[in-house]
Amino acid sequence: MATGTDRLAAPATLDDIRSCVHCGICLPACPTYRALGEEMDSPRGRIYLMRAVAEGRLDVTETYTHHLDLCLGCRACETACPAGVPFGSLLETARAEIERGGRRPLRRRLLEAFIFGVFPHPHRLAIVLGLLRRYRRWGLQALVRRSGLLRRIPPLAAMDALLHDIPRTDGAPPEFLAARGRALGRVALLTGCVQRHLFADVNHDTMRLLALAGWDVVAPREQGCCGALELHGGRLDAFRARARALAATLPSDVDWIVTNAAGCGSALRDYGHWVDEDATRRVAARSRDVTELLVEADLPLGSLPLTVTYHDPCHLAHGQRVRTAPRALLGRIPDLAVVPLADSDLCCGSAGVYNVLEPEMADRLLALKIARIVETGARTVVTGNPGCLMQIARGARARGLDLELVHPVTLLARAMRWEDR
Amino acid sequence: MVVTTPALGGALRAIVGTEHLHEGGAPVDGAAPRWTAAPATIEQAAALVALAHDERLAVVPRGSGAALELGHPPTRVDLVLDTRRLDAVLEYNPDDLTVSVQAGCTAGALAARLAGRRQILPLDPPGWAARSLGGIAATQASGPLRQRYGTMRDLLLGVRFAQADGVLTWGGAKVVKSVSGYDVPKLMVGALGTLGVLLELTLRLHPAPDHEATWLASFRTPAHAQDCVAALLDSTVQTNRLEVLDGRVLAACSLPVSAAALAISIATVEPAVRAQEGLVKAIVQRAPGAVQTMGASFWKTYDRALAGFDGVTLRIGTVPARLVETLGAVQAVLPGAAVAGAAGLGALRALVTHADVSVLLPPLERLRATVGEVGGGVTVERAPRALRERLDPWGPVPAAALAVMRAIKTEFDPRGVLNPGRFVGRL
Amino acid sequence: MALSASVVAGLQHLLGPAGVVLTREGRLTYESDMLTLYKGMPDAVVLPTSTEEVQAVVRICREARVPVVPRGSGTGLIGGATAPQGGVMVSMTRMTRILELDLANRCATVQPGLINLWLTNAVRDRGWFFAPDPSSQMVSSIGGNVATNAGGPHCLKYGITTNHVLGLEMVIGTGEVVSVGGKAADRPGYDLTGTMVGNEGTFGLVTAITVRLLHLPEAVKTALASFASLVEASEAVSAIIAAGIIPAALEMLDDAMIGAVNAAVGKVYPDGAGAVLLIELDGPRAEVEAQAERVAAICRERQALMVTVARDETERALLWKGRKEAAGAVGRITAAYLLQDAVVPRSKLPQIMREMVAISKRHRLLFANVFHAGDGNLHPLICYDDRKPGELERAQQANEELLHACIALGGSVSGEHGIGMDKAKNLPLQYAEADLNFMFRLRRVFDPDGLMNPAKLLPSHPACGEGFRPARPTLPAGTWV
Repeated sequence: MATGTDRLAAPATLDDIRSCVHCGICLPACPTYRALGEEMDSPRGRIYLMRAVAEGRLDVTETYTHHLDLCLGCRACETACPAGVPFGSLLETARAEIERGGRRPLRRRLLEAFIFGVFPHPHRLAIVLGLLRRYRRWGLQALVRRSGLLRRIPPLAAMDALLHDIPRTDGAPPEFLAARGRALGRVALLTGCVQRHLFADVNHDTMRLLALAGWDVVAPREQGCCGALELHGGRLDAFRARARALAATLPSDVDWIVTNAAGCGSALRDYGHWVDEDATRRVAARSRDVTELLVEADLPLGSLPLTVTYHDPCHLAHGQRVRTAPRALLGRIPDLAVVPLADSDLCCGSAGVYNVLEPEMADRLLALKIARIVETGARTVVTGNPGCLMQIARGARARGLDLELVHPVTLLARAMRWEDR
Repeated sequence: MVVTTPALGGALRAIVGTEHLHEGGAPVDGAAPRWTAAPATIEQAAALVALAHDERLAVVPRGSGAALELGHPPTRVDLVLDTRRLDAVLEYNPDDLTVSVQAGCTAGALAARLAGRRQILPLDPPGWAARSLGGIAATQASGPLRQRYGTMRDLLLGVRFAQADGVLTWGGAKVVKSVSGYDVPKLMVGALGTLGVLLELTLRLHPAPDHEATWLASFRTPAHAQDCVAALLDSTVQTNRLEVLDGRVLAACSLPVSAAALAISIATVEPAVRAQEGLVKAIVQRAPGAVQTMGASFWKTYDRALAGFDGVTLRIGTVPARLVETLGAVQAVLPGAAVAGAAGLGALRALVTHADVSVLLPPLERLRATVGEVGGGVTVERAPRALRERLDPWGPVPAAALAVMRAIKTEFDPRGVLNPGRFVGRL
Repeated sequence: MALSASVVAGLQHLLGPAGVVLTREGRLTYESDMLTLYKGMPDAVVLPTSTEEVQAVVRICREARVPVVPRGSGTGLIGGATAPQGGVMVSMTRMTRILELDLANRCATVQPGLINLWLTNAVRDRGWFFAPDPSSQMVSSIGGNVATNAGGPHCLKYGITTNHVLGLEMVIGTGEVVSVGGKAADRPGYDLTGTMVGNEGTFGLVTAITVRLLHLPEAVKTALASFASLVEASEAVSAIIAAGIIPAALEMLDDAMIGAVNAAVGKVYPDGAGAVLLIELDGPRAEVEAQAERVAAICRERQALMVTVARDETERALLWKGRKEAAGAVGRITAAYLLQDAVVPRSKLPQIMREMVAISKRHRLLFANVFHAGDGNLHPLICYDDRKPGELERAQQANEELLHACIALGGSVSGEHGIGMDKAKNLPLQYAEADLNFMFRLRRVFDPDGLMNPAKLLPSHPACGEGFRPARPTLPAGTWV
């Protein structure tokens, strides 16, 4: 198997760059271009820089790295691109090359070391979250906020603001839930790292809804991380190890592998591209967002008189091309009014750990997102990705807005007349 | 070098031939020319201009003579360049919907030629049939059809002209779509021949509509007419002409007089005309107004009424949402004036019979101030020379824009050969 | 040429560090517009937010005699927004506001960086639209549209950008801010608005634009007709126009382009056809119905393989999505191409299509066609592989031959993309020396120092030089001396 880290220099990948005809249709879709209006912070500009590096016109410099780091990896440009340029994987390849060269500033490298040392490890994450919970309860948060430490280290501030409520849960949903009535088949649930600890209810609800929809649901307890963060960060070797491990853990006899965190689902669908093996290809082919399965089912939904708006998670809309299923499901809830959100598929700034690594740009995008949400008049925002849920909630909190952030599954569960089946 | 008049006359005669050079000739805006020459070819025309340039003669181009009173009164008229013999249709490409003509060709003559292929050049300023196309271009004259088709600037694809030193120059293209180089035809339209004598025009044509129907909508107040215009513009009705007529113009057309009326026409395939009729009538009645169906001759009557008017003519440029204010302002300062024009575009005409200069001056200034609030203006299209001697017939042009215009004129006609002193800023 | 420290300091003082791009990495991404064949890296890129800032930039540059190159979204196809002589590139991407919407008077005033489609998006709900619709309209800026006098599919019926511009504010080469035209009809004086549209930045930088808005039509019908070859499709086009029908749009795609588009947006056009016509009729419903029947009949008379009409807005949008993304989709069949934009009289379409096929065969190059057939405005994409030695040169040769053929039929070197660096050398095909000289002098009025987007639009031709005098008419000699 070819080592992917070498692809950028190989003609095969230069071909992918060359399929960009420089038309610029991607520009308005790009959140950083929308914020800055600068070519080098647009998909077309970034591809141009990658090409310059590949052709030897440009070295991998700190400035080059900065422009690529500022990319959210939201892949909105892929949706826009008529030439089918695989921007996401180009970016991941380019970041891998940067990673090997080690050209990032020390502070950023330390931060990344922390993030990648914690987030993709559910057990470590649980410990850190536990510490954070105490940090808040004992008044340390107030102390730290007063110290001015946060101001000097913006990523810390971002993390502090993001992790507002840390529920105490064991995080684990049941390992198996049988279909109600005759089973259509069997699916496996990817429980996610952040999802498992901070949004445990979403996993529970996902299983209940899938069971009601006629699926036997398994949720293997010892599943590892999908590796999405490492993939987007260009840590391809670590990502590949995780992909192989996860593919080995998930049962091979299921019809679908269900995700309810857009970032994880998007990574799963890319498994085959990065690890060309039977098991990973199978995971990629069978990966589905929970809404794609639920939209096929006839769920007994009751009235939910509420006005909501829907935000497209990038890794759902662009990474997995899932746009209609969640909207269709919301549309089926009686008395639920769904107000369209302008620029609904423009990134909220969360983008995995982007809001921690690039807090300034993340804040600008968040401000734009909040402004659009306020325009709708809706008090409830529905979106299917833990990162977006936390990011937008943080933005609302900071502005004193009374916004409720919910996963579509949560809303569906709320509207369900469970007793009807 | 200075040359004697007889020798110059001889040189001019040598260019166009004895029978086409006259000492003197019809006066231009009250000024008698020294010579009038009628070239038969564009080369002759160019040679006339070149000679005038060398001898520092002032050249005044003329077509049908319908608009010779537009602009400042001339201070010098040495040579009138009469384009009426340059009246050929050079190249008619019906399948391309384009035509090339010489500048002296009249709109009426061209229309007759196009009728056989059911095509039109939709330019209809008052008295259009007798007017030369070069003249319509130089004066940017327009009529009711601009509501649908725009004006000369939208229809002129290419132009050949003689520069001030007589160099024959071409700008634009002979195809319907071209962006090669600067849009020289736009610079020439409305320039009153001050940058070049227009000699050949290539024009975009349109298919003649199958059927046209016209209605006259009468209103008790101008405000109702204004509401009706707004409603029509904010609807899917595709109007062909949309003219506002005040009571005096109605009377001149021998129509029942009301405070204000709209002449609305729709032109397309007959079923589509019929289908829109209901909507038009509903909009008029909602304003509220009364609708009357007019015969095909209405537009001829209207054209004759405007063209036949003998007095001061003002071109008022405003915006469609200011009809009431504009009509009111005209009535307030010029109680005897008649007003009509393209309601959907804010391009109006005021006709004033009372031409006593001392009475007209202050009202005109006040009218300019009112229209100027929306960036509009009042151009004196026709008036006794005495009026235009005391009042800038063009009105104010913003200083920065005028500076550019002056620089253009200086670049292309530093000697002041072409219609000198007549254009804005006395360029 | 590097900028002097004082120019850099002046720009930074004016716009702040975030408003001036000086890094090589940043500047590199500004070296080309969509046509990457032409490259010219600016010494600095500035991102002003107001007319005042643009004016100050021009004044700083003028004082230091530094070239100024405007740039909108960088989607031009002529090497217009590139800096071959270095200098300062002025990006309008932070001037994107709608300054005024005046629907009562059917117009809007916008900043130049506003994306074309965003204007329509802002008024469509109220029943209005901005008519010029270049295929890049989802990204190209209105300022860029004005600079190039951009066209688009619907310009067949509605006219090109200049027909929709009512007024402009521009910082000209002398550093002055000039406002021309406006909402009100019939301004006295030279039509500077019309003269400035299409100047490609050689007169100066447009800082505000007042445009006309049109009311959405009652009905729209979009039909697709397929033909065995380009020639038959062209004959149908000529017949439709000759029948006195001006559709809203009349677009043609050939088999190569059909393949690329189908790969990009799904199977929207029939495989196996030599060419398809996309025909859109809009206006009052009854008119559209009547014309649609007539157009369908003409297509059938001209041996159409199939004629279908989009049944709803979704189908219609899909037909158009294919057309609008064609130039990008071609990335799926070739890595590099030249794009021709010449025009022929529309009755000459069948003739030029035969000629094109012959040229394509002669040079063994793939021509993918997607163009505004109703206007006679050709857009063959001449595909080549830039890694094969000599192939670019062959493509350029084929391109030149086609251009000459178009001019020989009475056409124009550019229908809507403009001249830029790409076509400047071709202008003498269409214009005599006197004509070029007139344009050169016009440019000099606005830009006496020759700093505004230099090396664009006009060729380095004798007639475009200082001191050239065109030949004057010969006068009868001796009579008066």
